Amino acid sequence: MIAPAAIMIFLFFLMPVVLTAIFAMTNMSTATGISGGAWQVTQGAINRLKADMPDLAGGIAEPRFVIDEEGLAALEALKIKAGFSIELRTSHMGEVFPSRREAERMIKALKDRPSTREVKQISDLFNRSVLNTRFENRDGLMASLNKLGFTLTPAEQETVAAATYTGWVWTTENFKIIGNSPDMAQIFLNTAFYVSVTLLLFNVSYALFLAITTHYMPASTASIFRAIWLLPRITPVVIYVLMWKWLTWDSGFISMFMGQFGYPVKNYLLDSAYNAWFFVILINGFIGASMGMLVFSSAIKAIPQTQFHASEVDGASRWQQVRHVILPQLRWPILFVTCYQTLSLLASFNEILLSTRGGPGRATEVWSLAAYHTALNNYTGNLEYGLGAAMALVLVVVGIVLSLIYLRIFRYDTLISKPLIED
Amino acid sequence: MRILLDKFSKSFGSTRIIEDMDLEVGSGEMLALLGPSGCGKSTTLFAVCGIHRPTSGRILFGDRDVTHLPSQERNVGVVFQSYALYPHMTVEENIGFPLMVKRVAAADIKKQVADIAALVHIGDLLGRRPAQLSGGQQQRVALARALIRRPDVLLLDEPLANLDAKLRLDMRSEIRRLQKETGITAILVTHDQVEAMSMCDRIAIMKSGEIVQIATPSDMYKDPRTSFVASFLGNPPISFLKGRAQQGAFVLGENGLRLPLAALSGIADGTALSLGVRPEHFGTAGGVPVEGRVVFAETQGRENLYDVVLPDGSVLRSIQPVRDDVKPGDSVRWNLDSASTFVFAADGQRL
Ligand SMILES: Nc1ncnc2c1ncn2[C@@H]1O[C@H](COP(=O)(O)OP(=O)(O)O)[C@@H](O)[C@H]1O
Ligand SMILES: [Mg+2]
Repeated sequence: MIAPAAIMIFLFFLMPVVLTAIFAMTNMSTATGISGGAWQVTQGAINRLKADMPDLAGGIAEPRFVIDEEGLAALEALKIKAGFSIELRTSHMGEVFPSRREAERMIKALKDRPSTREVKQISDLFNRSVLNTRFENRDGLMASLNKLGFTLTPAEQETVAAATYTGWVWTTENFKIIGNSPDMAQIFLNTAFYVSVTLLLFNVSYALFLAITTHYMPASTASIFRAIWLLPRITPVVIYVLMWKWLTWDSGFISMFMGQFGYPVKNYLLDSAYNAWFFVILINGFIGASMGMLVFSSAIKAIPQTQFHASEVDGASRWQQVRHVILPQLRWPILFVTCYQTLSLLASFNEILLSTRGGPGRATEVWSLAAYHTALNNYTGNLEYGLGAAMALVLVVVGIVLSLIYLRIFRYDTLISKPLIED
Repeated sequence: MRILLDKFSKSFGSTRIIEDMDLEVGSGEMLALLGPSGCGKSTTLFAVCGIHRPTSGRILFGDRDVTHLPSQERNVGVVFQSYALYPHMTVEENIGFPLMVKRVAAADIKKQVADIAALVHIGDLLGRRPAQLSGGQQQRVALARALIRRPDVLLLDEPLANLDAKLRLDMRSEIRRLQKETGITAILVTHDQVEAMSMCDRIAIMKSGEIVQIATPSDMYKDPRTSFVASFLGNPPISFLKGRAQQGAFVLGENGLRLPLAALSGIADGTALSLGVRPEHFGTAGGVPVEGRVVFAETQGRENLYDVVLPDGSVLRSIQPVRDDVKPGDSVRWNLDSASTFVFAADGQRL
């Protein structure tokens, strides 16, 4: 009986987190691909090598010319003067020339006097440069380097292999980037601001305000109010955000309205960071408030009517009733909504993506949106899956830590304490 | 403080619950509002404490018209049937709540709570929460909370309904003791006639939103104004015989029992009547012999209870000191004390 549930939990709840954690420990990106890679001395690899092994880096960047059996066979196949290959085999076999110029000087000096065109033709056959050659395995690269006259210690081989590998590797680099980059710090602050302000002002306070005021209204009026406040939640988010755009963009309602008073037309959503935040928080707040309102309303409904009667005859004013009877009994729903909404605000970015896309500039870029941009969608086209996953993992950890803190603050243990009855 | 209801009416929407009720509760008096469930007792009580606004009529405390005062300003203490304790507060906070919202100093509250808690014997429970109390303890907390502001009026809505039998007995005398000690004017709402009779100075008996009779418990028992009142008071209850008037006498069936009664002089022959006989007035004492067959016998320890079927099929109940010589199925010839019976007209009015 428990097996299907366990499998579902594993597949749909644990697996994503586990996979995220695994990806976070790699440098996977569009460039590396997600399957294995090859060894290739690219210009990038040479740049990486320059710091540790300047000689080698300079050396392998240049073409190399080696007189070997393979080249001789190719030369013979060309069927130009047989004397070239014979002389090269007898007097130059195994020689290595660090540059094309030196190799060609030797070829020009051959007894059969090759023409300039033939010198070029022959030298090409002995060009053994590794620059931009793909090796399917590490040993192939090392053998080639060896043949070119680079004798490397095992430690040096390791460095070269790491620098030239084009696939992904295990690394903790992502977390260093997250920890050290000022961009990340800014995005972190954006996120903290966005989550705490939306949560406090709308998802909890405004929702409480709505729940309490509708509680004191006649039932029919209250349900109309609640229905209106549910609209943002039940409207498809694309349409909902589109309405905000109509309201705020250059030819939108606000622009037209302000135009009446002589203000220039502008995009109120994106014209300044201040405005962008203002609308981002409103857009999300109006959606978020409806859930809190429903949860709090039903929690207030669950308080027996006689408690309200009792507090009235005990002399409590409306405000005292709210303060001493309603709010203390909403502790658990408030904890729930705070927790749930913190997590959903941390994790969801669709409204921001659809409205400001994180702009203007990166003013409203929040953590989850940044992770999305890093890993799945950005302008440069190099999608850094590893870094994006690391950012997502940070989000998961932050969410768990915050939940634990909330449980402490709201003294969860006292909420579930056992009764002790005796007659 | 005197409570006066003057032509008080209450409707919920188009449903009229109470119409033109007049009721006066004397200062320091404890009055029972007694009636079957759904007759409007709680509605009346809630109007007195201000939770419901009257549809029409006036409510006076002393000479002060409180009809339009919100409950916060009426200075009433109410014990609700469900106690309505605040589950998130300790006993101490619950009892102190009426003072706390009046912004009485914390030290004062503590002292007064301690005093009142001692009065209702829950001094050692102050740190607990309602969920950690038994029904009886919750009851006392509710009582203490109702009394702590020294209200002008104490209202109790079926305060004992949720207690077990033994506890109910204790709390009955306990509440009465507190009411007498504090000298407070009180209204007790109950559907239990024993509670009403044992605790209150007077009983107002209600039926479908109307007060049928107001009297002291013993007067009401001895002199019920309607058959409803007679049937509501007394345990085991009164039994009724259906018959007709004939020359100043009550006649049961053809050639059946014939009881000459003073109350029937001047009543036209053939008028449909109902004769109420309390169980203690049928059995050993009395002057009119009645024949019948015992169909049910039950001992209650000190007394025995019998149901006797008369030849016409109607049933009389009898309560007598314990005896072992009568069993179900036996034919008996017992005496009826006709002077203590009540005759009612067909509409239930006493004649
Ligand atoms: N808030 C209300 N709305 C509508 N009808 C009510 C309301 N409260 C009570 N009633 C009705 O009024 C009648 C009397 O109720 P109540 O005073 O509670 O009776 P009881 O004598 O049992 O305390 C009942 O029929 C009940 O259904
Ligand atoms: Mg009631």
